[in-house]
Amino acid sequence: MIEPKRVLRALAEHWALLEPLCEHFDQGTLSLNELRSQLAAQQLDSTPQDITSLLDVWIRLDILVPVAKSPNRFELNAQIHDFLAYLRREHRLGLCLEIEAYLRHLERLAGYIQDAFDIRDGNDLARQLRLLDMRVRDVLKKLANDEQALVAVAERAKTSDRQIPLRQRYAEVLATWDEYVEPMIQLVNADGAFEQGVRKVENVLLRMLSEQQRLGHLVDDDMLLRTHARILEMQTSAQLTLRHARELLLPLREEARRHNAVTRGAALALSMIRRKGIDAVPQAAMPMFTRPQSTFLGSASQVEAYVYALARFEPKPARFPKAHKTQKGEAPRAPRTVREMLERCEDALPMPDLMTWLLEQEPDGATDELLYWFSRLSREKRFKRERLERRDYHTHEHQVSLRSFALLSARDDAPENSASTPHAS
Amino acid sequence: MHLDLSELSQLAPIFRELFKGYHVSRRDPELYAQLSNFQDQYRTLFKALGFELVCDTRGFYYFVPDLAAAAVNKTAQRLALFTFILVEHLADQGRDPIAVLDGGSLGRDELPSLLEKYRDLFIQAEVQTQEELEEKIMRRMTQLGFAGEENGIYRFLPPMHRFLDVCLSVQQDRDLAASLHSVLPLPAPVLIDDDSDEKLLQTDDPLDLSDFAEESEEDALARAIAEEQELDA
Repeated sequence: MIEPKRVLRALAEHWALLEPLCEHFDQGTLSLNELRSQLAAQQLDSTPQDITSLLDVWIRLDILVPVAKSPNRFELNAQIHDFLAYLRREHRLGLCLEIEAYLRHLERLAGYIQDAFDIRDGNDLARQLRLLDMRVRDVLKKLANDEQALVAVAERAKTSDRQIPLRQRYAEVLATWDEYVEPMIQLVNADGAFEQGVRKVENVLLRMLSEQQRLGHLVDDDMLLRTHARILEMQTSAQLTLRHARELLLPLREEARRHNAVTRGAALALSMIRRKGIDAVPQAAMPMFTRPQSTFLGSASQVEAYVYALARFEPKPARFPKAHKTQKGEAPRAPRTVREMLERCEDALPMPDLMTWLLEQEPDGATDELLYWFSRLSREKRFKRERLERRDYHTHEHQVSLRSFALLSARDDAPENSASTPHAS
Repeated sequence: MHLDLSELSQLAPIFRELFKGYHVSRRDPELYAQLSNFQDQYRTLFKALGFELVCDTRGFYYFVPDLAAAAVNKTAQRLALFTFILVEHLADQGRDPIAVLDGGSLGRDELPSLLEKYRDLFIQAEVQTQEELEEKIMRRMTQLGFAGEENGIYRFLPPMHRFLDVCLSVQQDRDLAASLHSVLPLPAPVLIDDDSDEKLLQTDDPLDLSDFAEESEEDALARAIAEEQELDA
């Protein structure tokens, strides 16, 4: 037997060295040389002899054990490894089959308990009850361990590199689902092995309680009640673990499945387009965008005239003024450029009423031209504008009703300029 | 439902953007916040005006066009094709397509190799050069709110889910998979929007002067010459 105190003392004393090694041992075994260099890196002032004696202690206490058939490689003793994993909350997911095996064993124990009771063997009954109790604790321990392991699986999947493919990233999740969660769902089902086992043990215990009332006590009622309570705790715990597992892994599994579906869908669509052209993508699947429909306002005859004009459209030949020809009559006025108008407008600041100013500048201007300049100038960023009351203006050929603007230079009051919202009517 | 227009403070810009076919997502925090805070009001108002506002729970808003007004849409086809190509390309490279298309990014420098690798497919979408790829696909994606571009990096936005959904529906459509091996023609897509930028950007606001906003000296001169000709005539 190994002295427990010595093992515990060694673990406590060398924890600083052991903990980093645990991570390596989680991945696999270490050769003697690797072990020595790891330890040397952590203990810079130690001599090779110190390291040798340290390793000797660990080997003597069975903390380190040689790997079968490779005497130069070492691993942590499996019991110690489990214990350290428990302390470090580094849980390895167990197998659903283990739980099922435990459950089958519980059922068998229930049978033995019944037999012991039937032959009124008090000692055997107490022993079998203790065994049952310990087995239930094993299951509880396993469930708690598995739950932690599942949390770790989900965390690893969520925190791993986003650049690696989802299939790889979630490989562990998918495997865990298939190998643990899915069978667990079967196991904990109403007609699964878990429920059956629990029900069988529970029935035996309850019947025994009532039989003891009738036939006299072989064991303390408390012991039976405690065991019964523990069985129920195990059942609840299994259901909670399973629910937790589903909550953790189902979204990730769905994400992975969706990812596969997207990749497959894209490949399918591309192969279709390669064979049948871009129109092959089904209409129902395509997203549709809204497009501004040009809402053409006009009477039927206007539309007709418009279409007629379009159909008979012919570009006019470009005619440029000839230098040698003298202009007859009044020379046509040079058209106003935006820059020119802006400059003129700027010179006229502050302007109490833009529309009035335009009418003064261009008394013979066409209405549409004037409205264009009104809109253009009132939106110019270098002017600050203030809305006026609605009134009527008379152009050369029309009467226009609008709310004009008073214009100021924006430079005088730059920050407020951006607050003005475009309005024109 | 009672509508308080004073609550809908972003109505004008929201309508303008949605009407252009833009998808509003968290990238436009003000518009997005308004839409999510007054989702029902906006939906009701737009419905009364004949526009169906879609509020996608994945974080974006857009207008569904009237089916009657639907026409074959090159843009949607191009963007869908680009999405398929990108998904396959990323999967081939061992990258995670969903991580990239759902909030991830793509460098502009990756486009040439993509174009080279899928030239046969891009040709079907009338895209042959890098410029055309940027113009007809990437720029359109940013215009419609599917992606944002900054310093040569395209960042994909939540509305990309619309195209990922296309992948999913293609995958789920067993008949479609079966038709791959048949000779029957596939149903022609009914889509909206046509190819022209002008139409996409066109608005019906009679006082919208965006066309004139950038009127250069040359343009003004050309316009003036045309008018002068009329004067002469």
